[in-house]
Amino acid sequence: MSSSESAVAAKAPLPILQLVDVYKRFNDFNAVSGISLNILDGEFLTVVGPSGSGKTTLLRMLAGMEAPSDGNITLRGELINNVPAKERPTCLVFQSLALFPHKTVGENIEFPLKVKNIPPAQRKARALELLQMLRLPESYYAKNVMKCSGGEKQRVALARAFAYDPDVLLFDEPLSALDYKLKKVLEKELKDLHRQSGKTFVYITHSLEEAMVMSDRIAVMRAGKIVQIGTPETIYANPEDEFVAEFFGEVNKFSVSLNEEWGWFSQDTESSLTLRLPTDWPGSEQATVIVRPEYMRFATSAHEFDNVISGTVFNEYSLGSRIQYQVRCGNKSVLVEIPRTLARNAAPDEQVMIGWNAADAFVAEA
Amino acid sequence: MRSQAKIRAEFFVRCWAGFVLLFIYLPIVCSALAGLSKSRYFIFPVRQFSLEWWKRTVASFEVQTLVQNSLTVALLVTFISVVLAFFGALAFARYDWRGRQLYQKLLLLPIFFPQAVLGLALLLWMNALGITPSWRTAVVAHLVWIVPVVTLVIAIQVYSYDAQLEEAAVDLGAGRLFIFKEITLPLLWPGIWSGALFAFLLSWGNFPLSLYTAGADSTVPKWLYSKMVAGYTPMVPALGTMSTLSAAGFLLLGGAVIAFIRRRREK
Repeated sequence: MSSSESAVAAKAPLPILQLVDVYKRFNDFNAVSGISLNILDGEFLTVVGPSGSGKTTLLRMLAGMEAPSDGNITLRGELINNVPAKERPTCLVFQSLALFPHKTVGENIEFPLKVKNIPPAQRKARALELLQMLRLPESYYAKNVMKCSGGEKQRVALARAFAYDPDVLLFDEPLSALDYKLKKVLEKELKDLHRQSGKTFVYITHSLEEAMVMSDRIAVMRAGKIVQIGTPETIYANPEDEFVAEFFGEVNKFSVSLNEEWGWFSQDTESSLTLRLPTDWPGSEQATVIVRPEYMRFATSAHEFDNVISGTVFNEYSLGSRIQYQVRCGNKSVLVEIPRTLARNAAPDEQVMIGWNAADAFVAEA
Repeated sequence: MRSQAKIRAEFFVRCWAGFVLLFIYLPIVCSALAGLSKSRYFIFPVRQFSLEWWKRTVASFEVQTLVQNSLTVALLVTFISVVLAFFGALAFARYDWRGRQLYQKLLLLPIFFPQAVLGLALLLWMNALGITPSWRTAVVAHLVWIVPVVTLVIAIQVYSYDAQLEEAAVDLGAGRLFIFKEITLPLLWPGIWSGALFAFLLSWGNFPLSLYTAGADSTVPKWLYSKMVAGYTPMVPALGTMSTLSAAGFLLLGGAVIAFIRRRREK
């Protein structure tokens, strides 16, 4: 985690927003409990977490819509705990988008400019520029915003946020209501826009996929705290614990205890298999070994991989470009995911051997 | 078979609708006819039609004063009740505060209170305070009953209003007044307008409250009643018809304004 953070920091050394031990209490409930976080200037930071993990509250504190109950938030070194949203160089794109329904596309985009008393001609010129930047036709300027499609509304909301010209753009799951295909397109556009504008993006979502596609760094939140923060690769490959691992996709878990023979361990409860240990064993006697389905392979011999176990094919799920097999090994169910090009025509109840290399597994303390 | 049943059903629906309309409008039409009769007394069927009583009504100084009183009261009531109700509706539909539920219920209560009793109570209260009843006190009396109604009408609009829009506007740098002018008012405007229509018509047609609280000043409904009790002339149905027609015209105009704004917005 620390190595990846310093790698990003080398590119953009200045934190634009700093949170130090920030708490937010609602009555007796800690929505955010003790978050310290540096948001770097120009980065795309995604905060992921299950609903109720406090990510929206965190975002609202950054926007100035909630004040922290405890701790400090600084912007470029200046304390902004009680600076209202109106006076912050941040702009929040709401989940509902919050477009003004009685205004046209153009009037929506021009709103922050109208606030600043910029003359109409200049406003219009800027709005047209933004329409172009967000790949909306110029004719949309006079269009009723409620007559736009979901994706178009998304772009209008982005254009409005850009018209405000904030240093930090905050996103509260704006893509969650869109269909899969459009979401994929907009994810990429958003990432392009981030690069093009050089602004800092803080994005919250509960979708792992969105986070992986777009972010420079991902922060995983649970119960008001940040569990892990790092690049998508780090978090995917080296999750801090079972929660993070499971949040980032399906996993095979083996709960194990250390064997006397160094370098090996055995599965304790379910099938008492003897498995080879990954090198980053935490030192405790009890732990969970986690292997992602895509690191599992079908084996032809018992020595093809560090670990090979046998079982029977129970079910087959097609995931489009990949296929997942559910293999029963004793009373344990293991998922194997392979590219479609390597698909095997496994008959139900067929005896198979599956395996993985110790280096592809990771260990979480039990 | 089926389509025949459908045709029959449609026939009965039409008959029923026609019957309801007839039931509602027959008395109105009859009184309109009474105002068009040449004779001084109301005899049915009307033997000879004439516009004489309409002319006399329009020309009557007394009627002019009445209409002026009624209009003044109705316009004042409309203005005051819309202002009070708008903020009241915002208060209970938008914000969560302790006692909100109670406020909502207390607000509704006057609507169900018999107006005649309310009028009498207000009169006694004014007596106790030493205030001489006039059209001004009638305004106060009308407000007691109309403000809750208008609050409910506007609240319906406020409930469908997304408060996040204001939050977004603040985030984009806008101040309170700017937001009120640019976001809140335009979005709640249809509700305010229907509230105003309600307020005007309820005040214009109100009799029981005016009877007790307008004192020596007379309003259109009050005059109609007093003339029916004693001193009937066909000016009564004539003025009644005019009053109904102008209220209808007022409603149509109000509806047209809303339709116009909607169309402009949807363009």
